[in-house]
Amino acid sequence: MDSLIKEFRAAYADQLGNDLAKTLTPDVPNNAAQLMSVWESGNSQSVKDDLKFLFVRDKSARLNMSSEEAVGWQEIYYSYWKALGEILAAEGLRKSRVKVRDHPNQWLIVSLVSPSEPLSTSKSPWSINKLTCRILTQTSWTSVYEAWKELTSQIIRGYTNHEFENWTIPCLYVAGKYMRLYAMRADAERGSNGDEMVTNFQDDFDPETEKHKSLEDCARQLNRIFNLCLSDRAPLSESRKWGIYYAINLLFKTYFKLNSAALSKNVLRVLSAGRGDMPDFESFPKSQQVTFKYYEGVLAFLEENYEEAERHLTLAWLLCHKGATRNMELILTYLIPCHLLTTHTLPSAKLLAPFPRLQALFLKLATAIKKGDLRGFHQALQEGEDEFVKRRIYLTLERGRDIALRNLLRKVFIAGGFIEGAEGGAQVRRTRIPVAEFAAAIRMSGGQDIDTDEVECLLANMIYKNLMKGYIAHERGFVVLSKNGAFPGTGV
Amino acid sequence: MSWASATPPGTQPGYVSYAHGNFATSAPHPFATLQPSYSTFAMPSPSESRPRINADMVPFLAATAYTPVPVRQGFGQPYTLQPQYAAYANTTNPPPAPAAPPAEPQQQQQKIDWPDKVRSYVQRSFESKNMLPDVSREEMEAKLKETISHAKDAGIMYTTDWDSMPLPRSSAAASTEPPARATNHHNSKKRKSSDFSESDPSTGNPWRSNKKLLSLSDRISQPPGLDSKSLKQAEKAENRKQRFNTAEYKTYRSPSPPPPTGPILGTCTNLEKNYLQHILHQTLDLLKKKWRKENNYNYICDQFKSLRQDLTVQRIKNEFTVSVYEIHARIALEKGDLGEYNQCQTQLRALYASGIKGNAVEFKAYRILYFIHTANRTALNDAIADLTTADKEERAIKHALEVRSALALGNYHRFFQLYLDVPNMGAYLMDMFVKRERLAALANMCKAYKPDFKLRFITEELAFESDAEAAQFIIDHNGQHLLVEREDSIIFLAGNAKQLFETARADAHRRVDLKGQI
Repeated sequence: MDSLIKEFRAAYADQLGNDLAKTLTPDVPNNAAQLMSVWESGNSQSVKDDLKFLFVRDKSARLNMSSEEAVGWQEIYYSYWKALGEILAAEGLRKSRVKVRDHPNQWLIVSLVSPSEPLSTSKSPWSINKLTCRILTQTSWTSVYEAWKELTSQIIRGYTNHEFENWTIPCLYVAGKYMRLYAMRADAERGSNGDEMVTNFQDDFDPETEKHKSLEDCARQLNRIFNLCLSDRAPLSESRKWGIYYAINLLFKTYFKLNSAALSKNVLRVLSAGRGDMPDFESFPKSQQVTFKYYEGVLAFLEENYEEAERHLTLAWLLCHKGATRNMELILTYLIPCHLLTTHTLPSAKLLAPFPRLQALFLKLATAIKKGDLRGFHQALQEGEDEFVKRRIYLTLERGRDIALRNLLRKVFIAGGFIEGAEGGAQVRRTRIPVAEFAAAIRMSGGQDIDTDEVECLLANMIYKNLMKGYIAHERGFVVLSKNGAFPGTGV
Repeated sequence: MSWASATPPGTQPGYVSYAHGNFATSAPHPFATLQPSYSTFAMPSPSESRPRINADMVPFLAATAYTPVPVRQGFGQPYTLQPQYAAYANTTNPPPAPAAPPAEPQQQQQKIDWPDKVRSYVQRSFESKNMLPDVSREEMEAKLKETISHAKDAGIMYTTDWDSMPLPRSSAAASTEPPARATNHHNSKKRKSSDFSESDPSTGNPWRSNKKLLSLSDRISQPPGLDSKSLKQAEKAENRKQRFNTAEYKTYRSPSPPPPTGPILGTCTNLEKNYLQHILHQTLDLLKKKWRKENNYNYICDQFKSLRQDLTVQRIKNEFTVSVYEIHARIALEKGDLGEYNQCQTQLRALYASGIKGNAVEFKAYRILYFIHTANRTALNDAIADLTTADKEERAIKHALEVRSALALGNYHRFFQLYLDVPNMGAYLMDMFVKRERLAALANMCKAYKPDFKLRFITEELAFESDAEAAQFIIDHNGQHLLVEREDSIIFLAGNAKQLFETARADAHRRVDLKGQI
């Protein structure tokens, strides 16, 4: 604990928010030993006393800190120590072996709740078993989540009650980040145990909600953080508003995970209402900008506002760090379908080259569209259906069929060749094309029969959507295409 | 069962006469003066006589005995119709007269026709075996007073099954008043005292900490149609219950969890309605029949809501619940009541998700069509993501997905073909947006076709039933000038109509009335 507080003092003296946050980061995979030593530095009471000494009575530190603030930090580190105990236990790092009396060959692996509660070996095996069960269920991820939530509350209280300054905001980030992770692990753990069929007293019960109980709760806590940042009226240089995009991004992630992306809209609404008092978006860290723009884009995408979506996603794409392959992949997952609809263009092989996953997702489809291969398009869409639906891009990609059809009809037009121009002028393309010719092409490419009325319907759609210029003369059974640019944007 | 045998003369309880006396003075509280009569055993009493029930009281009581009234008010007590009491009330043949004039109880020596069940009920309450050491007589009496006056007021004095009525002591014990020492009643000869002999007052009241449980038990009525034989058994059962602890109650009450803290308001005005599941099954059958026969949507919707409320209150979530919601959803669909339909749909989704069987496929298909109608893209996306591979092979779901696909691609030809062949009741949902899609299709056609085509083409493409209907649709949207007669057919001047239908389309697509409530 002493070493931890030493780090805290160093970071505090230089006002280094990130260093400060590091002292509250339970990075088990990289830092297990150090975390263990922090945990083992005492029991509940002694840690409490130590912290009190270090923060309140120890004058050697000479930190420029009010006593109010010192109490706040003291409580935070106590909560952190307690949460650490739960985390280490849940990670399986804190185990003791207990010999069962009467069964000398049997050892029970027991995770202790806390060092201050040692198991009494005088208990009968039965009671040890019971105790074991109790302990094992207690050190679940759910209790990790609860303990961490308590820490988060303490940190929030630091800002509301203990005069914390805004440079310490990375502590809030760490709290929010790990809270979300622990909530998901808690939900996953409960799900796999299959227990907790809680009697539900609501009329509109929803098993989904049960499944994400911790994460739902987490969303509420994150909302507190969001509001904590939003509601700060201090001048911008001292404002917690600098934390707002981090909080929003965490909220977005949580809402998407909860399948309630629509709730993100509320956040955006609140944000745009208070945008005047906010620091410039460009002055936030780029990582936060990218994440925010990505989610803003996806939200617009889900509402089928493709132009808006494209704007946000393009910005995210441009800002994204070139090494962040995964993020670029995510952005492109939505940007590519967007582009297909708004500009009718497909990703080049070069663009997709570094992303094998995206190639698998889009390449077949893109080829079919390019060739005007209706059957190939249908197949590619079906093959990728599960993945597309999961990413909510199925409905958008489906509309790529229009482009595939356009390309097919264009081929028919080109195959029609040229006729003599009027009054012996230069050759011009044949612009009167029988519906039957288009019908034949669609039948060939789609691999199934289709009646003339439906063909006309498809042609009408092409014209209506400005993919093809001209008109249908129904009674005479042919299509009259425009002499100039029958297929806008394709060179013919 | 005669009075004499039921109530030995020596123990003719004074409370009856007091009750009577009190009826005359302050009718709603027949037990207001009850306490003095009992206090003959414990404290100075203003009354040493034990007057009998005054015959003058009979009209009063009888007048109410005939009135059919709501039984389940406030879920207070388990009142059940007892035919034999109705008969009894008849034989006493009371003249329907106003209540007796006020009279001092001490002076009333005439007999009164209290139902002997009431007498024995009160008597049983005060039997030593049923008394609890720390429940004061006053409390008991207050409770009794409340119970009986309620029965009187509700006119169910004769129809109440007093034999199976829980004794008032538990509620009294649960009251916050300081316990007073109870006095043993001298009479223990009253019916089957041996039944009580095993009860041990010194063990304390097992219900004291379980007021909730008792109040729930209060709400459960006995199955109707108990005859005198089963009454005896019911009595035994009652005694057994009182002897044992609360665990006994768990077997007695219906399999529903403890009630919420808030009040439960009943609206049932049906005398014979039982608060148990089997009656809900009968209700559903009845409602189905009524719907077929009368087709009165407002009534049936109301009834279904009540049925759903009962299911909710009792926390019944099984296949029966699913079928109630399914039937209500279908009826709402038929009547175009989308608000109600959506409520049912939401519940059904949750019910199916928790693994309860039903017509999940049918309703998954409706759900897709519903979101097409409300143009809720996000929800539609989610609904599709919910489908399993097997689901997608089902005809109804396939159909709904094709409808969606046809609309997404603007393939109105296909859309209206699908409209003509909808599985189950999906057509009612499609009816909701077919007008909107007709406008979209017309806007489309008007831009693409030149110069004109026969009206028949629209009739066929947009699935109108006749040329007349198609023409009417166009006229309704101010397109009369676009229809001209040429030779032997009507021609639609598509080339001139572009703007008209584009505007109409945009209007129709802009807003979807999500509620659609009737």
